[in-house]
Amino acid sequence: MRVILSDLRPVLALFLAERRRMLFVGAGLAALTVLAGVALLGLSGWFITATALAGLTAATAMAFDVFAPAAGIRFLALVRTGARYGERLTTHDATLSVLAALRERLFRGWAGPRAARALALRPAKLLFRLTADIDALDGLYLRILVPVGAMVASALGTAVVVGFIAPWLGLAIGAWLVAVGLGIPLVAARMAYRPARRRAQAIEMLRSGVIDLVAGQTELVMAGRLEAQRDHLAAIDRRLTAADDGLNRIETGVTIGFGLTSALALAGMLLAVAALVEAEAIGAPVAALGILVVLAAVEPFGALRRGALEFGRTLLAARRLGPRLLREDVPVAPKDLPRGMAVELVGVDVRHDGAARVTLRGIDLVVDRGERIAIVGASGAGKSTLLDLIAGERVPERGEAAALPATLMTQRTELFQDSLRDNLRLAAPAAGDRELMRVLDAAGLGPDVAALPRGLDTALGEGGIGLSGGQSRRLALARLFLRDTPLWLLDEPTEGLDGRTARDVLARLGREAQRRALIIATHIRREAAFAARVVVMEHGQIAAVLHRGEPGFDAVLDALRPD
Amino acid sequence: MTDMAYSRGRLGGMGALPAERPAGLAGEPPQAQAEAHPRAQASAHASAHVSAQASAHASAHVSARAAGYVQTLSSLLWLPQAGLIAWSVGGMARGAGLADAVAPAALVFGIGALRAALDGWAGRLAFRAARGKLSQLRHDAAAALAGRSPLDQARPASGLAASVLAEQAEAVVPLLARFQPVRIRVTIVPLAILLTVLAFSWVAALTLLIAGPIIPVFMALIGWRAKAASEEQMVEIGGMNAFLLDRLRGLATIRALGAVDMTAARLRAHAEGLRKRTMAVLRIAFLSSAVLELFAALGVAMVAVYVGFHLLGQLNFGAWSGRLTLAEGLFVLLIAPAFFEPLRELSSVWHDRASGEAALNALDGLRTTGVGLPGADAKASRVPAAARGGPSVVVENLAFAHAGAGRQVITDAALAIAPGEKVALTGRSGAGKSTLLALIAGLVAPESGQILIDGRALTGASAAELRTRMAWIGQRPHIFAGSLMSNITLGRDGLTATDLDKALAVAALRDVAAAHGAAPLGEGGIGLSGGEALRLALARAAADPRIDLILVDEPTAHLDAATAAMVTEGLIALSRGRTLVVATHDPRLMAQMDRTIDVEAQVLEALACV
Repeated sequence: MRVILSDLRPVLALFLAERRRMLFVGAGLAALTVLAGVALLGLSGWFITATALAGLTAATAMAFDVFAPAAGIRFLALVRTGARYGERLTTHDATLSVLAALRERLFRGWAGPRAARALALRPAKLLFRLTADIDALDGLYLRILVPVGAMVASALGTAVVVGFIAPWLGLAIGAWLVAVGLGIPLVAARMAYRPARRRAQAIEMLRSGVIDLVAGQTELVMAGRLEAQRDHLAAIDRRLTAADDGLNRIETGVTIGFGLTSALALAGMLLAVAALVEAEAIGAPVAALGILVVLAAVEPFGALRRGALEFGRTLLAARRLGPRLLREDVPVAPKDLPRGMAVELVGVDVRHDGAARVTLRGIDLVVDRGERIAIVGASGAGKSTLLDLIAGERVPERGEAAALPATLMTQRTELFQDSLRDNLRLAAPAAGDRELMRVLDAAGLGPDVAALPRGLDTALGEGGIGLSGGQSRRLALARLFLRDTPLWLLDEPTEGLDGRTARDVLARLGREAQRRALIIATHIRREAAFAARVVVMEHGQIAAVLHRGEPGFDAVLDALRPD
Repeated sequence: MTDMAYSRGRLGGMGALPAERPAGLAGEPPQAQAEAHPRAQASAHASAHVSAQASAHASAHVSARAAGYVQTLSSLLWLPQAGLIAWSVGGMARGAGLADAVAPAALVFGIGALRAALDGWAGRLAFRAARGKLSQLRHDAAAALAGRSPLDQARPASGLAASVLAEQAEAVVPLLARFQPVRIRVTIVPLAILLTVLAFSWVAALTLLIAGPIIPVFMALIGWRAKAASEEQMVEIGGMNAFLLDRLRGLATIRALGAVDMTAARLRAHAEGLRKRTMAVLRIAFLSSAVLELFAALGVAMVAVYVGFHLLGQLNFGAWSGRLTLAEGLFVLLIAPAFFEPLRELSSVWHDRASGEAALNALDGLRTTGVGLPGADAKASRVPAAARGGPSVVVENLAFAHAGAGRQVITDAALAIAPGEKVALTGRSGAGKSTLLALIAGLVAPESGQILIDGRALTGASAAELRTRMAWIGQRPHIFAGSLMSNITLGRDGLTATDLDKALAVAALRDVAAAHGAAPLGEGGIGLSGGEALRLALARAAADPRIDLILVDEPTAHLDAATAAMVTEGLIALSRGRTLVVATHDPRLMAQMDRTIDVEAQVLEALACV
């Protein structure tokens, strides 16, 4: 129980911080709805029985106050309806608010430099696990906390009402309802934990199997394995069926369990009131009230069934997402730079998180304002890490690093499912259309965009579907042009472009860069030839620094990949 | 009763819903039409499953009906239970004791237990049928996806297909297992309750009758307005996850552009806007169930009040036999809520219908056929490799345009490659190099013209067989979920340990294989570097000794010089005694080939070689 609470704490804390009042009002209205239902049925039963007895003689019939109970019945019917409507609006509004906050907080949690790097290493499947986890948290309030609250309120209300008839009976029925109402869902939740996990696993397998079928279709066709992959999918679906079946069995168990509980409560109450009537402790109207109150009290059980089955999954999600709801410590701002310098690195070591060896060792490098340098070296030599270090994405383990505000153009062009305009505006939120068109022109994409029927409003898809490799690279370049920082860092800016396009892109970059310092990590000759100085990296160390015109400069260039 | 569940489809479980496929910047909106001739193959393929699916549908339907009837029986068993309770209380009013209550109490429990068992059984019945249907739908969708050409631009993206087939499809089960049985119950139970009440009191029955039918009218009026809006809303809420996921994928860029706060604010604004719009819809949607609740509660209250006044002697009409007894009155009160109960349940499973039908539509979308993959479901028998070291490849008058696009990518192309020749196809990006390779591999049917492999025409009928002697190495080879070795064998049988060992040697993958062991790659595993992935593809080709035609698409485009040299070397080693066709613009790779053909010139050199 304590483990459960500590897993849920960060999530609950977020919920409460966001919409504390609304969450409690929603739960309160849910309790009110249930209690009004209990009171309505109880009062109706009492009323009918009492009127029947009073109606036996004319005198008692005349003396019977019919209007108060009749008005009470109508009033409770209205309260119940109103409370239910309010409850549903409040709980859903609260949930949506909380979800908005949850997503924002998770995004910020992952946007910290360390978390972002960890996320980048995670394969696609884990990203989907992440959304499945977020979905599983959606139901925590709506399908678990609110129904539990309503059930407990109904059990307590019933206990109080029945307690007026006979204290021991109230205690017994209250204890029975709470014990079963919490017990059956808890047992079900425990039992459902493993099949729910297996089910989540099978869905992930199915997902990766479908991705293999569609994205790997060419490979499968050419190997004659398309049919086999379909059989594989069918086999995963059978596993999923087995897990689903397990969950359905548990759900069936809960259904039967609650059914038996209700039957037992009703039969027991019938016997109890019969005994009380025989002992002349109560009359028939009160007996009817007792039975009908119990009948209404078991109603909220139904809402718990689904929550119980989902609880295991919710817990798993809370366990995985909880840490991301806490904010990451942001490293302190780097020290000041001497005038005229763009970058100053002194004896810097950088270690990847949890790595045994340092990735960069003893790096000394000074880049002046307006200078253009290239960093070359085999893959794994530490080029990208060096750019990350200068961009402030990584903190040195040893040594000192300082750099002017920089913009990094990453190796992979990442475009977002958004309009062309908003994809550009990421770099400059305030930029107007005129400015956007100017940078698009500068990047050589202006005519392409002007030819689009929707222009800047054109929607780009997942990963920028619809743009060719060259077009996406130019778009990334346009985004860079919007960043008025004194230092631009480029990681293989013309990778994957044909020679003609690449040279055009580089020429445009040169024009736009003006007096900015440029650092290009590359393994392509044309990109390195663009620089006045080449830094050669080997195994995380600087092996050589060569200026244009120095002996060896051309030799370094010639060792690179030609166009 | 369980209207909390209403939120399931709206707030949760919608995962990453299909974002609309955007129109390309360069291309036209990809709208594939199944054309005549070879492209229509896929549709014939899909129709083979129609009868199987129809029967699965029918059986799911029958079981859902059976489950509905069992649940109906269980609901109706409340009548004897209520009767026993009512007459027991009636007995108490006349001085009956504990002993008289024992038998009714036992029966109340017994019937209650029976109802629980029936409910459980009905749940199982409905679940099994629904789950079977889901499996069938998944099978059909997978078959249709497999039957579309990789060059079909309208083919669903792998991510979309995976979301629909894995997550969204799950919503079919609640639709069939919950919604359908309730629909049956709602047609029988209220009527049975009404007739039972009528047997005692026509006024009470009339009260229910008035309250009852008004409900659907109100619900229809309100639900009708809410429906269209809420369907859009569901798609949008799914979009909220997609939005987060999309931004998380591009986190490096967002950080590089200093846009974290801006993106977080947009994410929040997006979600808040969504909340406001959703609440506007829910206010109406919940109003419909509030109306239902109101009439249900008032209906029962009015019955209670009527019966009370009647028993008191103040309303001396409405009963058939003068005045109702206490037991009769109580019985009417007890069964009155059961009149409304199925209606309330119907409204609580309404969302199951909405998300279930959305899932059915999405699955249908995957089952549509587009540009067919030639020979997608032909069982290929292997052709013995030609002894002379690789087949010849002859292309004559070949033309190809993407479906729906007016402009031809390839016009009147001709090509002749001699057995065992190593040829580079070159030309500007977008000149059609890759498409030409794909046509030779039989991954899509040409508009006109023909391709001869070793003198045999490549057609829908021969494609699968001819492909058994071809290997394909793409720009970015797909890494399958599984170990490195399973990624090489791809489950092909007949590959010996010697073959695999040789493959590892040719691709220079021994070290990588030793480092990874049985660790999973691909989705859910560690990635490989670009160079490693390409060498893996080389190993795939090298592992099968029966392969003698190797088609390679820009193998060195994304590699540094050292890695590119390694891949080139592997490719040359692999192509010994085989025919090799490489699309590339890497001069170092071109230099290693026997011949370079510029695809840009629309009419290719036509060299008679065979």
